[in-house]
Amino acid sequence: MNLKLHIWRQKNSKTKGAFEQYAVSDISEDMSFLEMLDVLNEDLIVGGKDPVAFDHDCREGICGSCSMTINGNPHGPEKATTACQLHMRKFNDGQEIYIEPFKNTAFPIIRDLVVDRSAFDRIIQSGGYISIKTGSAPDANDIAVPKAKSDVAMDAAACSGCGACVAACPNGAAMLFTSAKLKHLNVLPQGQAEKKKRTLAMVEQMDKEGFGSCTNHYECEAACPKSISVEFISEMNFEYAKARATAYRD
Amino acid sequence: MLGFLKSNILSKFVVAITGLILVGFIIGHTLGNLLIFAGPEALNTYAVGLKDLGPGLWVVRIVLIVAFILHIITTINLVRQNKKIATGYKVSNYKASTFSARFMGYAGLTVLFFVLYHLAHFTLGFVDASTFGMETTLENGRVVHDVYSMVVIGFRNVIVSLFYILAVSFLGLHLKHGIHSMFQTLGIHGKKFTPMIQKVSAIVAIIIVISLISIPISIMLGIVGGQV
Repeated sequence: MNLKLHIWRQKNSKTKGAFEQYAVSDISEDMSFLEMLDVLNEDLIVGGKDPVAFDHDCREGICGSCSMTINGNPHGPEKATTACQLHMRKFNDGQEIYIEPFKNTAFPIIRDLVVDRSAFDRIIQSGGYISIKTGSAPDANDIAVPKAKSDVAMDAAACSGCGACVAACPNGAAMLFTSAKLKHLNVLPQGQAEKKKRTLAMVEQMDKEGFGSCTNHYECEAACPKSISVEFISEMNFEYAKARATAYRD
Repeated sequence: MLGFLKSNILSKFVVAITGLILVGFIIGHTLGNLLIFAGPEALNTYAVGLKDLGPGLWVVRIVLIVAFILHIITTINLVRQNKKIATGYKVSNYKASTFSARFMGYAGLTVLFFVLYHLAHFTLGFVDASTFGMETTLENGRVVHDVYSMVVIGFRNVIVSLFYILAVSFLGLHLKHGIHSMFQTLGIHGKKFTPMIQKVSAIVAIIIVISLISIPISIMLGIVGGQV
């Protein structure tokens, strides 16, 4: 396959970026999208030019490192697929592809396609944990968790924090991420004790980071490589309002 | 009092709850308007009945005005923030977002200007003072404001009618996305409920649009108000 790429190049967070055009040829349709970029980078390095910087780690669709927006879709056009698991056979020979970083002012661009997602870490630090005494591992099934609840917790915990929800949202909201992280802990017995405190803290940190607000486009759910449901957002809304309404008791 | 503006979720709650109040008003108002098809006596009796509520009418009006203003200022505040953070892509490509969802702001602004014009026309009488002063006698002998003739004469103006039809269609788009969004925002959702309420909100929007635009169309075609 031969492709015409338009890639966002930016030196660092302070300089202004712009699109640059590249042609890649002889791309196998069995390659992943990142492997196609590897081919481009090899060519660039051989030609004495700066390779395109992009995040990647496991390349197995688990870690969520590969943050890039491909033709307007974070992680590309496929449903429930990360950019590393996206195959070139999903594109046509001769196609023009626009590759941009995740664009959101809460995710500053570090270089080219690499963005700083520490805003998510700060949301987790504000309450995305349970306070317990660590020590030897507790006995398995010591705490009874109903199957239905453990299933929901697992669905929510599938979020890898890749940031595609934020990148896809026309409002730059981080509500899918925050609500999944809240649900994952709040639904389990171990997370119950700090549920209210956690809900208030994580939502308020999310606002403090400057993220936008949901207007129910559901682009986040469609972009999520783990297909996290927008139902969690609805629940977070209710739980947060309830926590605020009963805050006077504490 | 406006402290909720600092929280995205509380702001969304305010938009949803004020939206609910406004949807309730629109449904009531639409049902009332349809009395025009029952003839002048029915519409004029209903209109004077509303005025007879006196202080009660003012309570409703104040609730509506407050809801309307809160709905708008809260939304403007949220949109301003959202525009700042989401800087957009060279290529935009949507997987799930609907036209009505992306058109919310424009539809809402059109409805805002329409409501101001509509109030000036039919409630305050600024647009056409001559029809606003018209009176008629009910069957029980009471002399009342002739709302029926005012509406008929108002909608015989093609420009007024076309603007009305356009604004009501935009209102329909606004409701199509707004009604089901209200439930999602307030935390009412479910695997069966969410697709169902999305359908219901589209159906309610269509019924409201058809009901409302049937009035100017019937008047322009001479089906209603021929005797005025």
